[in-house]
Amino acid sequence: MIEIINVSKWFGEHKVLDNVNETINKGQVVVICGPSGSGKSTLLKSLNGLEPFQEGDIRVDGISLKDPKTNFIMLRQKMGMVFQRFELYPHLKVLENITIAPIKVLNQSKSKAGQKAMELLERVGIPEQAEKYPGNLSGGQQQRVAIARALAMEPDIMLFDEPTSALDPEMIKEVLDVMVDLAKSGMTMAVVTHEMGFAKEVADEIIFMDEGRIVERGTDKSFFENPESERAKEFLRKILI
Amino acid sequence: MNFEWQVISNNFFFLMGGLVTTLELALIAIAGGLVLGTLVGMGRLSKLKSIYYPSTLFVNLMRTQPLILVIFWFYFLMPLILGRPIGGFTSAVIAFTVFEASYFAEIIRAGIQSISKGQIDAAYSTGFTYWQAMRYFIIPQALKNMMPSLITQAVVVFQDTSLAYVIGLREFLRSANVVDAREMRSVELYLFVGLVYFIVCFSMSRVCKKLELKKENA
Amino acid sequence: MLNYDFKWSILWSDPYGGWILEGVATTVKLGILCCIFAMLLGIIIGTFRITQFKPLRIFAEAYTEFFRDIPLLVQLFFWYFAVPSLLPEGMRTWVYQEIPDFEFWIVVVGLSLYSSSRVAEQIRAGINSISPDQFNAALSTGFSHYQAYRYVIIPLAVRLVLPPLTTEILTIFKNTALAMTVGVLETTFMSQQVEAYTFHGLEATTAACVIYMIITLIVVGVMGWIEKLLAVPGLIIRKGADS
Repeated sequence: MIEIINVSKWFGEHKVLDNVNETINKGQVVVICGPSGSGKSTLLKSLNGLEPFQEGDIRVDGISLKDPKTNFIMLRQKMGMVFQRFELYPHLKVLENITIAPIKVLNQSKSKAGQKAMELLERVGIPEQAEKYPGNLSGGQQQRVAIARALAMEPDIMLFDEPTSALDPEMIKEVLDVMVDLAKSGMTMAVVTHEMGFAKEVADEIIFMDEGRIVERGTDKSFFENPESERAKEFLRKILI
Repeated sequence: MNFEWQVISNNFFFLMGGLVTTLELALIAIAGGLVLGTLVGMGRLSKLKSIYYPSTLFVNLMRTQPLILVIFWFYFLMPLILGRPIGGFTSAVIAFTVFEASYFAEIIRAGIQSISKGQIDAAYSTGFTYWQAMRYFIIPQALKNMMPSLITQAVVVFQDTSLAYVIGLREFLRSANVVDAREMRSVELYLFVGLVYFIVCFSMSRVCKKLELKKENA
Repeated sequence: MLNYDFKWSILWSDPYGGWILEGVATTVKLGILCCIFAMLLGIIIGTFRITQFKPLRIFAEAYTEFFRDIPLLVQLFFWYFAVPSLLPEGMRTWVYQEIPDFEFWIVVVGLSLYSSSRVAEQIRAGINSISPDQFNAALSTGFSHYQAYRYVIIPLAVRLVLPPLTTEILTIFKNTALAMTVGVLETTFMSQQVEAYTFHGLEATTAACVIYMIITLIVVGVMGWIEKLLAVPGLIIRKGADS
């Protein structure tokens, strides 16, 4: 479970997160949307300590991120993350991309990590790419490898930072399919995305952010059918055309 | 060790004379290098093999050479070509122009190549001719893109002129060297020379940084 | 054209041919030593430039700026003429006369320091061109900072920095020619020595030009081989697609 309590963050003078409160329960899928610069990616990155924040607190399974004794390395092992531009390690083969963290961080044997990695590649539908380098894969394939890489650490929570926004249209579906499967398997997920189809299908809650604040929240029906705020209405009009 | 900074003030005009020679040499070399460099740089982009290969050969050959050697080479070669001895200054000017042209050429080539082909297509599609497209769209944009590199290279030329020392040309460094031989005040003299170079080059590199920031924000 | 009696045979006649070969040996020795020291120092200073610790960053920035904004020849003269004159009288004569190959080592110091500032700049640029999210991705899988550098950032940076480093190595070899001004008997010096004895400066200088060309070809060949060794399929494609 993730509790976000009164979190505020400044970049210099600019307030990028403004008193954000939110709870993500185990097994829940929360979609975060909003115009660019609304602070949604910053919020996501603060959940696993990649972005520090000045005020408030975030607790992951009761562990406070503000507690100086908190071990971020241990914390991040339980939280997988997927990035907009995939961020695979280009100098490592696909299989090595997935096994390197289990081998180096969890001290798993090469064969055990390799076996697990192949299972994950099956799950995301590209076992035949195991021996290739990321640079020779399509964007959609790269993003699926990135998901497998995150899953290899057997995380309790998955964070997605605009996972489809750098993809060509025809590749978006293959990544979303993997994410929907993951959601249906009961994974706790926080997803920054504009893919409203995905949100409708699996989101337990949708958060709309603007200028660092959560302006509106709701289940898919309430959010899509009658958003309350003007900003959310305008935003939906623009992306649903 | 006590410093005697009077050595600078006592020989101030002599040293400044050297600096003027350095500046003259640098300015002529930059101007000459730019003109020749532009021609060679465009030659490197030419579709005509008879232009492309010689300019490419020239650039690649020059870039394998130490400048000091090029200076010597022209120092020996020019009298043969002209049939009479020429002064150190003229010979240095020619060597610098030819040498620096190869570096300017690459900057200019990269600058022109940095403009997307779509820009030319767009100009053609609205009815411009090749030269009009160059004049109104490609050259102004390319110039803006390569300004920081051009300034950096100009600073390098300014520093490079110190190498004219080797053929006895009395530029800034040689002047300090001459005074040093007489007065034996190496520390003061070379610190002073270093400082002057530093001030000029540092301020130019600041200008460059500003231009680059402007380019990034544009 | 003036009548000039080309006499290329001068280049392989005794003792001139031997002089030039000695010069080449010195150039190679000087170049290799300076490359090694410039790399080591450059990596340290380059890392300082990207650290979070501000005093180190400022020091490294001042270092690069300082060495870049003063002509190398002025720097060499400073090390060769000015620094020894700071020593007491007796020691100064000792330094010039008793230290074997004093000029050679002074150039090693001067050229290494100068080149290290340029190498540092390439290292900084290389590491900075790796996106911050690449580092975040490594951290998000539970790597420590050390592990993220060890397994992700450094292997990538090495590959990114290799091509510009080739240019720097070539620059170092070309800059060794400046050593002649303080009396190091390297290739350029020897070619001018031949001209002083024979008045065939054009031949001697041309020979030196060819030698520097060959050195360039060898360096490019070796570095190309290393790049091939470390080449990653698709890495360039990926970079192209990103930009």
